[in-house]
Amino acid sequence: MNKKTFAAFVGPSVFMMFIFIALPLVSVFFESFKITQPIVEQQEVETCTPGFIGQTCVTEVKTVPVLDENGKTVTQTEWVGLQSYRNVLQLDKVGDAISSGNWGDILQIDFWKALRFTLMFTLLTLPLVLVVGLSLALAVNNAVRAVRGPVIFISLLPFIITPVIGSLAIYWLFVGDGILTSLLERWTQTNISMFAQAWTIELLMYFFRVWNNAPFAFVIFYAGLQTVNMDTLESAVIDGASRWERLRHVIIPHLMPLIIFISIIHLMDVYRVFEEIVGFRSQAHVISLQWLTYDFLVPDDAGNRAISRASASAMLTMIGIVILLIWPLRRTWLDHKGGAH
Amino acid sequence: MAEIQLRNVNKRWGSFVGVDSFDLTIADREFLVLLGPSGCGKTTTMRMIAGLEDITEGDILIDGKVVNDLDPKDRDVAMVFQSYGLYPHMNVYENIRFPLKVRKADPAEHDERVRRASAMVELDDFLHRKPAELSGGQRQRVALARAIVRTPSVFLMDEPLSNLDAKLRVSTRAQIKNLSHELKVTTVYVTHDQIEAMTLADRVVVMKQGKVQQVGTPTDIYDNPANTFVASFIGSPAMNLMDGTIKDGTFTGKNVEINGLSAADGEVTLGFRAEDAGLAEAGQKGQITAPIYTVELLGDAVMLAVKAGGQLVSVKTTKEFRAEIGDEISFAVPSDICHIFDRASGERV
Repeated sequence: MNKKTFAAFVGPSVFMMFIFIALPLVSVFFESFKITQPIVEQQEVETCTPGFIGQTCVTEVKTVPVLDENGKTVTQTEWVGLQSYRNVLQLDKVGDAISSGNWGDILQIDFWKALRFTLMFTLLTLPLVLVVGLSLALAVNNAVRAVRGPVIFISLLPFIITPVIGSLAIYWLFVGDGILTSLLERWTQTNISMFAQAWTIELLMYFFRVWNNAPFAFVIFYAGLQTVNMDTLESAVIDGASRWERLRHVIIPHLMPLIIFISIIHLMDVYRVFEEIVGFRSQAHVISLQWLTYDFLVPDDAGNRAISRASASAMLTMIGIVILLIWPLRRTWLDHKGGAH
Repeated sequence: MAEIQLRNVNKRWGSFVGVDSFDLTIADREFLVLLGPSGCGKTTTMRMIAGLEDITEGDILIDGKVVNDLDPKDRDVAMVFQSYGLYPHMNVYENIRFPLKVRKADPAEHDERVRRASAMVELDDFLHRKPAELSGGQRQRVALARAIVRTPSVFLMDEPLSNLDAKLRVSTRAQIKNLSHELKVTTVYVTHDQIEAMTLADRVVVMKQGKVQQVGTPTDIYDNPANTFVASFIGSPAMNLMDGTIKDGTFTGKNVEINGLSAADGEVTLGFRAEDAGLAEAGQKGQITAPIYTVELLGDAVMLAVKAGGQLVSVKTTKEFRAEIGDEISFAVPSDICHIFDRASGERV
């Protein structure tokens, strides 16, 4: 393909990505170093109330926003450097917690609380999704041809369901008077509250995400299994390799580029976990970085939105994803270089 | 070292017959070649010996022991595949070592055995390389080394030279022949290339549509083909086959008349090899007389073809011979070089 044709094909996509991804990203990056606040002024207000003898007047100093000629609040933007990051990270409180030895206090700070859950959620669901996806793919690959179609269809169902609906469905199954909770209560004769403590909520979140994402891994692995060299596999059989050794020495090395691919997609996707927090209504116990960014953007009682802190939180989320992706991307790069021999 | 017996071995997929009543004993240390066109059942037969394919009916015995229900790893066979079957993420050393590792051979011996096997196939300088960094011939030598490293009782080779270019095929063929002579292990070798079969085999089994057509030494099969299929499959060029009638010891067909045959009267197919016939002596009329259809200069000889008995018939002449297409030519085909086959069944008469 010559350069002109190539440019004609990728040009529109690159342009859209520039407009809708790159520009907002740059904008968020700059926003995170600025604070935009309404200009306020102090006004003396005399309030008089009629009394028996005469009226009583009180003079108060009130802080009111400055309005322009259209009646809108006048704002000013200030360059504050890393102040928003400091506000989000609250490193002084982290320092205090470390110096006092109360490590648990760190997890009381919203950002660190969210980071703890986001990291654990991402890193624990990744191997589970890989293992469940590969197991499903192997099972279907070894199944009788007639049952493959229905099994593939059923396996893909969780992937089709949108995360919000899926998480709500699980929530309703396990909420106080949900079907499964009632059944479990009847069976165990104990009172079960799956949403009363953080760890049970987290457990359900892990279960939901693995259930939701494993079909994607399954489909990719199943396609990969079709390309395993049968001669190599049969060589291993003749050489004396057991099923497990064949999986370890032939199938997994063959699927490694796909494992890396699924890992990259999973890390990027799951680090931005959000739907589960909403679906499982876990804000009081468990929050994620993406949810924290959203929370900063929700107007407070005075109608103000912490845009600069939201921007800082969004940038920190992105930095987290980049750090997580370094290893798989480096590995892909090395494989690519190795394969170019 | 092992003797292999195949007793009435059958392989069927539904109504399709892959291998039909295969009966054969392969002697200890024998080099047996299964030869035939694609789909004749030769690879299936080998895979049944390896244990990679289940037997529908019959028994396979290795060293007198029925192995029908044994896993491939328990049959003590090693196999070399057409597309090598190497482990792409392991280097040559690890590829050769793999059978020792998974069979839990004494780790202290691994290095020595790997190096001995790699030396036998002249791979000493490539041990650190990955298969992707090797040529086709080198890859096949890795596969050979991996097969010999654990000194199995039986070698199975499934068209090991098919993916190599012509030059490499000749040198690797010589290497296999040499290895087989040195190791003296019972070997079953599958190929569709009759030259490989002729050069390597102690005995050749020619197969067609799942059935054994003939079993014999290469010379036997070349000199006394059991039927027209074997006659036309073995030899380059293939044996000339002409349809005609025998009456009172004389074969008659279009442009052909051969006397002195000892077969009964009837419709037959007569065959002879191009190199056995020659030009009729000057001024004399030979058994086949026809205009030249084509002249092929082979370098060491000239191949002349004419149409006789409804077929294209070739005769090999000296490299100096020159003639033009269309020239009338007469070939000497004495009766003692002729093979007679029944026209209907194709079987040797």
